[in-house]
Amino acid sequence: MTTLSLLNTPSIKKTLPLIGLLLASLLLTACSNPQNEAVDYSQQFPVADGGTMVDAMIGEPTGLIFMVSGDSASSAITAKIFNSLLTYNGDLDLKGELAENWSISQDQKTITFTLKKNLKWADGKPLTSHDVLFTWQLITNEATRSPYASDFQLVKKAEAPTPLTFTVTYAQAYAPALDSWASLQILPEHLLKGQDIHTTVFARKPIGSHHYQLDDWQQGEHIKLSRNPLAVLGPAHIEHLVTRIIPDKSAQFLELMAGHIDSMGLDPIKYSRVIPARPALKKKLNLYKELGNSYTYLGFNLKRKPFDDVRVRKAINYAIDKQEIIDGVYLGLGINIASPYKPGTRWSNPTLTPYAYNPEKARSLLKEAGFSDSDGDGVLELNGKPFAFEIVTNQNKEREKSAVIIQRRLKEIGIEVRIRAIEWASFISRFINTGDFDVVILGWGLGLDPDQYNIWHSSQQAPGQFNFVGYHNPKVDELLEKGRTEMNPDRRMAIYHDFAKELLEDSPIVYLSAGYGLTAIHKRIQGVADPVPAAGVGYDSHRWYIPQRYRQNQISEH
Amino acid sequence: MNSNLFNKVLENPLSKAGFVIIVSIFLLAMLAPLIAPYDPNDFDVKSILLAPSWQHWMGTDGLGRDVFSRMLYGGRVSLLVGFVAVGISTAIGIILGALAGYYRGWVDTVIMRLVDVMLSIPSFFLILAVIAFLTPSIINIMVVIGLTSWMSVTRLVRAEFLSLNDREFIMASRTLGAKDARIIFSHLLPNSLTPIIVSAVLGVAGAVLMESGLSFLGLGVQPPHASWGNILTDGKEYIQFAWWLSLFPGMAILITVLGYNLLGEGLRDALDPRSEAK
Amino acid sequence: MLKYLIKRILWMVPILIGISLISFFIMHLAPGDITSNEAAFNPETSEESRQKLRELYNLDKPVIVQYGLWLKRMVKLDFGHSFKSHQKPVFLGTTDKDGNYTKGLIEQALPITLMINLLGLAITLLLAIPLGVLSARKYQQWQDKSITLFNFIGFSIPGFWLSLLLMYWLGVVNDWLPISGLHNLNYEHLDTWGKIKDTASHLVLPVLIPSITGLASITLFVKNGMLDVLHQDYITTARAKGLTEHKVVYTHALRNALLPLITIIGLSIPGLIGGSVISETIFAIDGMGKLFFDAVTSRDFPVVMGILTIGSALTLLGNLIADIAYAWADPRVRRGVARG
Repeated sequence: MTTLSLLNTPSIKKTLPLIGLLLASLLLTACSNPQNEAVDYSQQFPVADGGTMVDAMIGEPTGLIFMVSGDSASSAITAKIFNSLLTYNGDLDLKGELAENWSISQDQKTITFTLKKNLKWADGKPLTSHDVLFTWQLITNEATRSPYASDFQLVKKAEAPTPLTFTVTYAQAYAPALDSWASLQILPEHLLKGQDIHTTVFARKPIGSHHYQLDDWQQGEHIKLSRNPLAVLGPAHIEHLVTRIIPDKSAQFLELMAGHIDSMGLDPIKYSRVIPARPALKKKLNLYKELGNSYTYLGFNLKRKPFDDVRVRKAINYAIDKQEIIDGVYLGLGINIASPYKPGTRWSNPTLTPYAYNPEKARSLLKEAGFSDSDGDGVLELNGKPFAFEIVTNQNKEREKSAVIIQRRLKEIGIEVRIRAIEWASFISRFINTGDFDVVILGWGLGLDPDQYNIWHSSQQAPGQFNFVGYHNPKVDELLEKGRTEMNPDRRMAIYHDFAKELLEDSPIVYLSAGYGLTAIHKRIQGVADPVPAAGVGYDSHRWYIPQRYRQNQISEH
Repeated sequence: MNSNLFNKVLENPLSKAGFVIIVSIFLLAMLAPLIAPYDPNDFDVKSILLAPSWQHWMGTDGLGRDVFSRMLYGGRVSLLVGFVAVGISTAIGIILGALAGYYRGWVDTVIMRLVDVMLSIPSFFLILAVIAFLTPSIINIMVVIGLTSWMSVTRLVRAEFLSLNDREFIMASRTLGAKDARIIFSHLLPNSLTPIIVSAVLGVAGAVLMESGLSFLGLGVQPPHASWGNILTDGKEYIQFAWWLSLFPGMAILITVLGYNLLGEGLRDALDPRSEAK
Repeated sequence: MLKYLIKRILWMVPILIGISLISFFIMHLAPGDITSNEAAFNPETSEESRQKLRELYNLDKPVIVQYGLWLKRMVKLDFGHSFKSHQKPVFLGTTDKDGNYTKGLIEQALPITLMINLLGLAITLLLAIPLGVLSARKYQQWQDKSITLFNFIGFSIPGFWLSLLLMYWLGVVNDWLPISGLHNLNYEHLDTWGKIKDTASHLVLPVLIPSITGLASITLFVKNGMLDVLHQDYITTARAKGLTEHKVVYTHALRNALLPLITIIGLSIPGLIGGSVISETIFAIDGMGKLFFDAVTSRDFPVVMGILTIGSALTLLGNLIADIAYAWADPRVRRGVARG
């Protein structure tokens, strides 16, 4: 019975104190760590290069080739490593990034990009129009499984006549083309030629041309980027960017409080209640808010009765108090919208106003549509059938809360609502793709181009396509088709203003609100634009810097 | 259970405490509509995240709902999940365990292999996969917890049956020509009832904890229904600020689970022949 | 003995097939596939490209065909590649033609989870055995009662709540322990002692919290085992022989009381391999639990199947080893097995 000899008296006596000692020593060594002294972060210092900024994300990127990864974690990293031909400036107007300039042919079908001179990849090799052509060939290649390929498949012919010119010709004028070239990250031909894009090791060891390059990727722990000295837009100030992978938001916030991460996206409660209530946090964190390019909506299944009746949709729109949702769910950190575009941008029609909260009007509209409470139970009926439906949403705190608020308001006008929150994959496959739902609460995150053909055109209703509410309006169809081929920005704007007006009038969805994106950034990080430009807080992060004085408690910079 | 056993349980201060805890929590949950000062789902956007006060004994949550009222109604849900889940697992366990222990032979082999299979799959993984597939509703959660936790009851019942099978009174009824069902239901089962009850009491505790764990992963009881698990999960984000959002549900789970464990242990002790000797 | 072993190992094959069959069908009954993730719900993406993806992964074929394909590969121990993580191998790493090694997902996650859980088990045992013995010796006295109460409180606290409270107290209010992760960011630049210290301090909470939770059942087990043994004849004999109480308890009683513990440890193996999704999520540890949870939510079928199959196989193996160890340690069983 020698196996159990470990458990004999002497061993137990010996091991127990040993464990105790180990634990005690751990606590002691931990205690002896230098405490974060109360540093005054209010001073402004001149720009200085160097330092490390740490942030966190909840999921790990699947790979660092964006055209085949497609998750938000991947794009957050690849956007720092790769350039596109075009980009948006702080006011969300297009400008050249790799391209010096671009021109559009008379017949509006051909775009010619002229690249900046002497562009280099981080490994020193020249970056030319052949890389751009290669990237286009790659994304349109049959074997490449890119969810973003459709925009580029419209290109009939692409050429690189000189190392500095790249031309694309479309079968017909395609207005969203420029936006698509602002989203396509250009990949190096010399490293990827002949590789299988889906298995290549490049996805874990990318070489790009942007401000940063990958230094080290510890699976499940962190991704470390370091400055690319050959960056085509000039070098950034901060030497290292470390992104830690911390799946739980509350753990992330603890790390932020302890000063181990420098920046984090916040929810409204943390932004407006938790941090302001804690002087120690307020002293070391700057808070930023920006209007994102997304909104939350209540969408009707237009193929189901009674939602095919515009009076019913309008009634529900009037019955929902959007300000109450903004106050209750976003603590006031959101705005009411009347068009599916970011307010303040040219595409958003400033003459439109959202449906006001007006339960009386809602009641009379429902009456007009034939509803009445004939049995006096407080619930309206149509032909003896009570007006009751289910709101389905995915597991998202804000959407769940919105649903609760809507539930009560609709009850007040005699509509019975049930709420169901479901995990994303089941939600999409079981309800959205099958069209088996009454009403959903969802959000759209939009690109910067106004084209919303995929969402609203009546041809886009097949399973898996995005007009899952089943919207069909010939007038809107026509406007969307026109908007896609109109290259003149002013005429295009007029088209989308008309489109938004028609959409608001028809009320196929109820705009609930557009919430602010909220970010906390440690005051060590200076040079952050305030107020936040339209393009977002991280838009010019290459200009951020960490003054020498604030680099204590940092990872050593060997 | 006889009153003698009951008295014996109450002699032990720990199990007495467990008993008192369970009865009080049970009463609170049952009487929720009478006690609760507010409608648990009635929100008020003007009183979001208020600290505990005379108006709101346990404060308010992120939508201005009264936490005390939600706790009372949440208690109903959490206890219901516990009872039904354990009811399901105990029922399955008794049936399979009885079949295996009574008939032995190949029936026993097949059932015990099935137990082996179920025990080899990490059970939380199984629960996760099934709930993600069934979508989390109160009923599905109860069913899934029940369907994945019957194995220990099966083993227990089987062991009891195996040991009872050879006792004289069973032999006697068999020679007297009693039917199988009669032997099982009127002789074997009543005699193995007490360990089953102990395991069920402990099982409720496990199910209440399991629900809170599933809530953490977003797979628990879904809002707007309150359960202790999802109130706690909501509160975890603001543990340093709105402490009342996590403290009360956390304590409620702790005390309830503790109560069941103490009672279960007390029962086991009381049934234990050794305690006679002392 | 050998015959018994062979029989047991052969039994594992149908059990494993049963497990894989159950897992496969549960997984494929779940609505959605790898293309129904949140990122794909983006108007800039297209249904055609998602369909292309489904065809590539054979997701458009009937489930039974997919199972056949999977089984065919599994016979060669090829668990395939993850759909999601950029074609990483599920189980063991591979080397491509240029000599770049890609680590397998399970190969990466299993050692982390095993290390944490084995440490946790060791701590649990080291605490539970003396506590259980003490409880048995002071049966029904205040020591027994306070140990029981303490253990039950540990068992009853929702783990993630306790974790967050301790993370806040030990990591934020006091700068005593790191909050999450396994290594400090400067880990690479530490000397060996620094590395050990760093890892150890990161492990304190993730290891200790589950051990506290698990303490109750093992302590009770030891206690009950001890109580049984202390009443048996040979203990009475030992006492009668005039051995000191100490010696009676620790050398004679404990050994026999601990025998059934081997079985309990065998039964805890799925937990050791599975890891805790919750604690790995909270502490940002890239282990098996987290890997599995992510794979389920993103419908990454090869990873889910790989984990369930490999996890179950390791569990069966572990149980077998536990049984052998038990047989070896207990002469009564040893003889029984040799005969059977």
